[in-house]
Amino acid sequence: MNRLDALRGTTPPKPHDARAIAALAANPGCTRRALMDGAGIDKGAAARHLGFPAPFGQSPFAITRGNAFEALVKADGCAELLRMLRELLGLPIAEVAYHDVENVGAHLRHTHTRALIDRAVREEDAGTVYDHPLFTLEIAGHTAYLEPDVVAFQLGGRFHIVEIKSFAVIDGQADPAAAAAAARQAAVYVLALRGLLEELGHDPLRVSHEVVLVCPENFANRPVATLVDVRRQLAVLRRQLARMTDLDRLIDALPDGLTFDLMPDEDGLPSRPVAELADAVRGAAARYAPDCLSTCDLCFFCRDEARQEGASDLLGRHVRDELGGVASVGEALALADGARAPAEGQEEIARLLRGAERLRRECLT
Amino acid sequence: MSDRLDDLERRIDELRAGVRTAMRVRDTATARGLRAELRAAERAWDALVSTPGEPARSGPAKGRGDGLRLVTVREQVHQALALLDAPAQPRLIVTVSQAFFAGTIRSAQLTSLRRDEERSFRSSPYGRPYYLCAALTDRLSPARALLTLSTWPVERRVVGPLSPRVDFLTGAARIAAHLAGLGQAPPEGERLLARMARNIPGAGGDGLGPPDPARVADAARRELAVHAERDALDRAELAGRATSQLGDVARLFGAATLNTVARSGER
Repeated sequence: MNRLDALRGTTPPKPHDARAIAALAANPGCTRRALMDGAGIDKGAAARHLGFPAPFGQSPFAITRGNAFEALVKADGCAELLRMLRELLGLPIAEVAYHDVENVGAHLRHTHTRALIDRAVREEDAGTVYDHPLFTLEIAGHTAYLEPDVVAFQLGGRFHIVEIKSFAVIDGQADPAAAAAAARQAAVYVLALRGLLEELGHDPLRVSHEVVLVCPENFANRPVATLVDVRRQLAVLRRQLARMTDLDRLIDALPDGLTFDLMPDEDGLPSRPVAELADAVRGAAARYAPDCLSTCDLCFFCRDEARQEGASDLLGRHVRDELGGVASVGEALALADGARAPAEGQEEIARLLRGAERLRRECLT
Repeated sequence: MSDRLDDLERRIDELRAGVRTAMRVRDTATARGLRAELRAAERAWDALVSTPGEPARSGPAKGRGDGLRLVTVREQVHQALALLDAPAQPRLIVTVSQAFFAGTIRSAQLTSLRRDEERSFRSSPYGRPYYLCAALTDRLSPARALLTLSTWPVERRVVGPLSPRVDFLTGAARIAAHLAGLGQAPPEGERLLARMARNIPGAGGDGLGPPDPARVADAARRELAVHAERDALDRAELAGRATSQLGDVARLFGAATLNTVARSGER
């Protein structure tokens, strides 16, 4: 771990939240991100200092909308939520118990969550809906506190995570990117709750891998619930977290003395020369994809780097995978017009590229 | 009835004092506003004294400009809570007040209400006919965002695990009964009932037209019967603890949590 602390330097570590942990699973191949998150580095501050601030943070309108929708779903003892659970999972009429964990002080919330969940497992009928629980998840030696914006509830001895999101499901279809992000985030909570059950000495599989996603239906504000299977997200997440605790292999590949320290002065402002920091960050390989723009604070820095190299990553994951073995756009073009002879292993892709180039020329003339 | 008269008299006294203070500092605009309210209060007092049979909630003339301003925020909340007969969140209180009492309150006005009431109670205990107070959780601390009336028995003011659902069903049944009793149902009231009916099994909330109040009340009572026994047990236990362990102020406004104790210790 000392090496990770050296990477972070004198800057205090930044706690992870569910969004950040979920974003890890979105790009598991990125060494730069794995290292910086493992060391608890404030990527936003680093990006700002590098001159590539990410315009992150939700719009206040979106936050207000999200909160209003959540309040609607949870109003009057979760009346709407209970209706949906009865329809979706056949929740018995008698199961309506509601526990608001936030009734205890903020510093007791995690302990209270543990006590309530423990009681729920031991006594079959000890409660259905838990509002505002607080879970913990161990990330590379640091404890992250997670607040499922909602509820873990128990039905037939199994816990389900409920995730309330305010993007609309129109005619049974939701924005795939938003739905995928919600599933990844819910997977983080599933993992955290499973960890909690294991700690308490219960069977972790009592947490269902199916999460309940609640969204507004069509163009009205009426909530509708769907079951989402998050097994795939769970697998990715677990692998990624295991990788973060086992960062030695990645660290060994780094040049000696590398650090991402911002060297904050007395006022907490970063004082490290920008060029030096940029060199250090480039020392860890990134795997840029356009999706990064919505999940990572360093996205603009990595995009700029990918542009300078003319990397094929810029064109998206799909194209990058098609162009396996061809690293840059220039190389691909050279292969296509025959200016460059294909190296060993590139014959197949070179043939395809030439064919495409011929078709393009025929179309244009 | 006499509660309301007491309240009005107190309000008239307050307004008179307010007019005098305003005149002393030569704030004519405030004085004029207060005088208008005073006159309206006196008119309402007259109306109440001269027609003793009239129920309290129709006292202030609905829709009349003066009358609307007369009904204070706490009084509007009281009306809504008295109709629901169960602890309720500000959002529901506002909706009920708007639907049935031509209410003018907004949720934001309710945020400081509980604190004001507590301060008033501390300075002169039981000086008012009723207080808007907190619901008590299983730790006897104030529950988040739930308002109750001090005139209710403690059993109704505590919140066990099943209580939110029971309170919701009680409120729905009460609203359905109230709607059925009105000659012409206000559209906001029907909308509120339709929204509640959707979440009660067998209440017929999925139809397009307004729901049948009798059917909603029936469905609510049927589900209530499922939860009533266990909820009553939970509540009785909590109420017993509240009465034996808490003083007057804490019984109405909730015992301080460790959090608030710690915070006041820091000061």
